[in-house]
Amino acid sequence: MASIRALIVDDSSVMRKIVERCLRQAGMDLGQVQEASNGAEALALVNGNQFDLILSDINMPVMDGLEFVRHLQEIESAKNTPVVMITTEGGEKHVMEALSLGAKGYIRKPFTPDQVKEHVIPILRS
Amino acid sequence: MSAPNQIVPGETSSFESWRTLLKDAVKEVFSMMVGAEVTVLETEPAVQTADVTGMVGLAGALCGVMSVRCTRNSANKIASQMLSVPISEAASHQSDAIGEICNMVAGNFKAKIDGMQDKCMLSVPTVITGEDYQLHSLAAGDRIEQAFVFDTETLWIALEIRN
Repeated sequence: MASIRALIVDDSSVMRKIVERCLRQAGMDLGQVQEASNGAEALALVNGNQFDLILSDINMPVMDGLEFVRHLQEIESAKNTPVVMITTEGGEKHVMEALSLGAKGYIRKPFTPDQVKEHVIPILRS
Repeated sequence: MSAPNQIVPGETSSFESWRTLLKDAVKEVFSMMVGAEVTVLETEPAVQTADVTGMVGLAGALCGVMSVRCTRNSANKIASQMLSVPISEAASHQSDAIGEICNMVAGNFKAKIDGMQDKCMLSVPTVITGEDYQLHSLAAGDRIEQAFVFDTETLWIALEIRN
């Protein structure tokens, strides 16, 4: 698998580091990994960079993850970038909304490294 | 009698069922995200010191506050184990770690109650450091508090439910 440019969006710096570690444990060759603490910061990064994978929380201050994904679809260079939501909000309503907005996957916190691998690898391969 | 994961506010059997769900939620979060087992403390701990408190608000069908309280030492250990870094490097992450633990406990707990996932929203976490404070709620309600042992120290998880 080629080197992956990833963007991890979560208001918790601890969670961002855990997600990155899970991706590495999944055997991914991570190249550039950038972090954002909310959707607005993430949008700014997306406008200046190309990513192969975005993992985003939902509950965040300033701009939440669903709003971020909604805005992402308006950016021509980013709208096809696969987005996986990683969140405590695991209800059907949230899952359906995220998927309808363009997210490709959904992981509920708490999670194991294997769960991250199981959700993310097939999305990157498709 | 209601099923363990149905909500009947004010009913004692519901609260005892919720206590079981809360214990399970806490154990799962620590096992999966901290790589540690916590033990339920069935007796009242002798000394109740805690100087790091994480809180997450719940709104909707279940309204209240979930809180996690522990010592600064435990908060450092939790951050250290979550990040896989030495304790000496974890101090700056302790508040973030406790806030996220509280967030995941609240989310995992509501996921265990039938139909609650989409009817109850969580706030972003707030973390207080220091032990000389009192928390006052403007609404009457009930409280479930459960002590656990993490490593060798006591950690408290509480759910304040507003009626």
